[in-house]
Amino acid sequence: MKKFLRHETILAVLAIAVLCVLAYQSDRFFTVDNLLNQGRLMTEVGLVAILMTFVIATGGIDLSVGSIIGLTAILTGVFWQSVGLPLPLAALAAIACGTLGGFANGIIITRFGVPPLIATLATLALYRGLAEGISQARSVRGYPEWFYVLGQGNVLGVPTQLWLLILTAIAAAIVLGLTRWGRTVYAIGNNEVAARFSGLPVDRAKVAIYTMSGFAAAVAGVILVSRVSTTRSDMGTGLELDAITAVVLGGTSIFGGRGTIAGTVLGLIIIQALKNGLSLAGVKGDGTIVLIGVVLVATLLISNIVHRNGNR
Amino acid sequence: MAVADHPTPRSERSVLHRLYSAYGQEIVIVLALVVLFFVVGLINPRFLSPSNLNTIFSGNAYIAVAAIGMAMIIITGHIDVSVGALIGVLATISGTLAVAGYPVWVAWTVPVLVGMGVNALIGVMVAYARIPSIVVTLGMLSILRGGLISVTGGAWISGLPPEFLIAQAKPFGVPAPIYFMVILTLAAAFWMRYSEFGRSLYAIGGNAEAARASGIPIERRTVMVFMIHGAFAGLATLLFATQLQIIQSTVPPNLELTVITAAVIGGVSILGGTGTVVGSTLAAILFAAIGSALIFTNVSAYWLRAVIGVLILVTVLADMIRRRRQGRA
Amino acid sequence: MKKIILASLMSLSLTASFAHVAQAQSPWTGGDDLPTNPLACDATPATVEAKPYDGGEPTNAPDRKGKTIKVVDVPKLVGIGYFNATSKGIADAAAEMGSMDAKTDGPTKANIDDQITLIDNYITSGVDGILFAANDPVAIAPVLKKALAAGINVVGYDANSTPDARQWFVNQAEFNGIAKATIDSLAKEVGEDGAFAIVTSTFTTPNQARWIAEMAAYQAKCHPNMKWLETVEAQEDNILSFNQANTLINKYGDELKGIVGMTSVATPAAADAVTQANKCGSVAVVGLATPNAMRPYVESDCVKSVVLWNPVDLGYAAAYVLRAAADGDLKPGATSVKAGKLGDLSVINGSEVLLGAPFVFTKENIGQFDF
Repeated sequence: MKKFLRHETILAVLAIAVLCVLAYQSDRFFTVDNLLNQGRLMTEVGLVAILMTFVIATGGIDLSVGSIIGLTAILTGVFWQSVGLPLPLAALAAIACGTLGGFANGIIITRFGVPPLIATLATLALYRGLAEGISQARSVRGYPEWFYVLGQGNVLGVPTQLWLLILTAIAAAIVLGLTRWGRTVYAIGNNEVAARFSGLPVDRAKVAIYTMSGFAAAVAGVILVSRVSTTRSDMGTGLELDAITAVVLGGTSIFGGRGTIAGTVLGLIIIQALKNGLSLAGVKGDGTIVLIGVVLVATLLISNIVHRNGNR
Repeated sequence: MAVADHPTPRSERSVLHRLYSAYGQEIVIVLALVVLFFVVGLINPRFLSPSNLNTIFSGNAYIAVAAIGMAMIIITGHIDVSVGALIGVLATISGTLAVAGYPVWVAWTVPVLVGMGVNALIGVMVAYARIPSIVVTLGMLSILRGGLISVTGGAWISGLPPEFLIAQAKPFGVPAPIYFMVILTLAAAFWMRYSEFGRSLYAIGGNAEAARASGIPIERRTVMVFMIHGAFAGLATLLFATQLQIIQSTVPPNLELTVITAAVIGGVSILGGTGTVVGSTLAAILFAAIGSALIFTNVSAYWLRAVIGVLILVTVLADMIRRRRQGRA
Repeated sequence: MKKIILASLMSLSLTASFAHVAQAQSPWTGGDDLPTNPLACDATPATVEAKPYDGGEPTNAPDRKGKTIKVVDVPKLVGIGYFNATSKGIADAAAEMGSMDAKTDGPTKANIDDQITLIDNYITSGVDGILFAANDPVAIAPVLKKALAAGINVVGYDANSTPDARQWFVNQAEFNGIAKATIDSLAKEVGEDGAFAIVTSTFTTPNQARWIAEMAAYQAKCHPNMKWLETVEAQEDNILSFNQANTLINKYGDELKGIVGMTSVATPAAADAVTQANKCGSVAVVGLATPNAMRPYVESDCVKSVVLWNPVDLGYAAAYVLRAAADGDLKPGATSVKAGKLGDLSVINGSEVLLGAPFVFTKENIGQFDF
């Protein structure tokens, strides 16, 4: 338990430091409006990153989430406009397809033994390609007003999708930290062979995790469509790297076996705060990118030095 | 699957069988290339014309050269997602020096040195600070990408002196990139196989603890292999930056994914410990050939990426099945 | 189990793609499916019908007349010559006016998410004006409307948003005007029955898709014997554009008479490909590009002329339009606006400001420009 707390403590301290510095730099940063708005903007990455925590904690990785977002977005439009389904059904069907993509990842990884990095590298290309081919580079626009409430509206004063993010974070934290599924995840990450020998349902767990990762990406895709009111086949490009950055910053070890949802959430907050706060302080886009890179490496450097018990 | 449990002893296996199990992936790629050229050549003979072969081979040679370094990194059990951004930065440095009037050889060597330096830093963090390579290179990717725009302000570099453009040179009628690609691949392949350092990389990637126990200085070697990878990135930059008369100061999109995919398809196992640089070069060529072939065979442009994705999947699945059969999975 | 899943995935995607065939598509790959409006084949200018103002309005904008205003310019992406030029134009105008603080900050890749986030941050930071070139007209609308609601003046250039999301849009030239200029100069160089191919950025870039659609319509109307061969994608990467152009030259051999570059990245790369393949003179290169990038090819006579507008002027005009809108000098319903040294620019299509006729860079004048 002490080991788990260490990195998260560093992170919490860093988060507070970052928030304080940024609030000092600009008086528009620490307003309720701005913070809620940032919550809205980070939901898509957030949903993906929370489920990615499970994936990375098992020692795997999922690079195809960005492409699943694009594919789901396109399919939402296609099912609604070309196939003629009513919009809620179209969105659900699209989410089902995205989840299927995650499921396919899981099957390729467990049934065929392809390492997750390669498997999801391949599906990254494949799903994006499907999105481009199916959409034929056309966008679908003109959704009914009620659909935009999901991405652009508020519920009880808080952005709609932010509720979803909060609920997901709580649910995920409970599953990972308190249930048997969660312990299975850590066991797989620590030593997959031993986990298998102890009779844990390793393959089933992995398939479930990759399916859920696909599901999160698919839901994020629909939210994105609602937020920008159109569909494009290039949606979500590069999002996987943002999600992985947040998860790793949050203390999840890339080798597996370690990681908490709280850490991921802190990682997300730090990155979003930096992106927003630095811009408010007058730093341009490129400077922000450099700083985030430095923060990532520096945090892990510090964490490793503090932990100096030779982690795996 | 029972056959796999009792592999025939080495002495009993035929030469062909041994070649296949050692170089299976490379042979598959060569076969795929031959089939591709044959089939597409039938559909449109211009696919085999010297100028198109030149486009395929020398236009994409820089990917193959970068893949050599990447293959070494992956064999050692690491990965580098920042190589695309690094090449973008090195290209800008190279072009700036050339336009500023420095002698051409300076503009050619400085990128290689800078590449080695940047990657040495990455190597130190991976080896000594024990930060996973994917994390360090993820961070480095951001730093390089943002840094490039910050420093150049986004301006392109034009007015390159003609003697700088080495990629357009044609010694003895063969384009220079092809010399680079072939010579570097063969040299690296020999070195990986026959030098102690090269073989130790396989050991480190296969089982780091066992390697350490046999006295291999893992940390030093890790830093060195990253530096070598940086040198190859610098050499790839030479080909990349000198192909056209202007240099963009943006990061070539998706370059790192292409290079990693080429190395992986080439038989370099992401689990570390197996694969050859010859495989990654062949795979880079195969990729370029497929891209060209899809245009020649009029595959609808909208489905291009999907087709490539399917091909990657098929190759990888075939490789995994082949490994299973050999009892190596 | 696997097979069932694979089968359902395949059939799902097949259904979706078949469903799409039913939609009307541009005859050329890369064009969009919006209605086209080709110009007359001769030099008759287009009939411009007066349209009522259809732009958006800022809510409760403070009185900015005469005061220094903070403006941010958010192009499609940073790091390519074209937007460096527009940025320079904006900076020139700001310096000339003396009352505008302009800064360019754009995403490092041309996607909507980064651009929207950037604009959102600037809204929060309290800028007075936003200049933009949109990566997607509909996707950028919600955040621009948010800016208008916050009392910020919003003016677009180069790539439009939906009209109600901004006050004015500075249009370099009408889509059908660009199409006409490009196809006409192509026809002049390759002949009335020449075959040509197109190198574009991506099929989802709205401006390019619009131009290609209009080019297809114009060519069918006025040069029906010309033959479109194919369109290839090359992102915004010049090495990829170079390789794609080479592949086209290799594939079609002597049949290919011309290559059209749809972006300022593709055209110089295509020109380099033609030069290195020793096909200068037999393969014409036509398209959009900045003079610096094209100078070596124009000076070596490989490329006869580069049809474009002046992006520096475009940025310059956009800055002046924003100033006029912020000051209240440019109101809905106006028919022209004064833009510094460019003089009076006319208002068309309700809320668009037209920069003017396309600019042609040739061997004679290309030396005068540095962008």
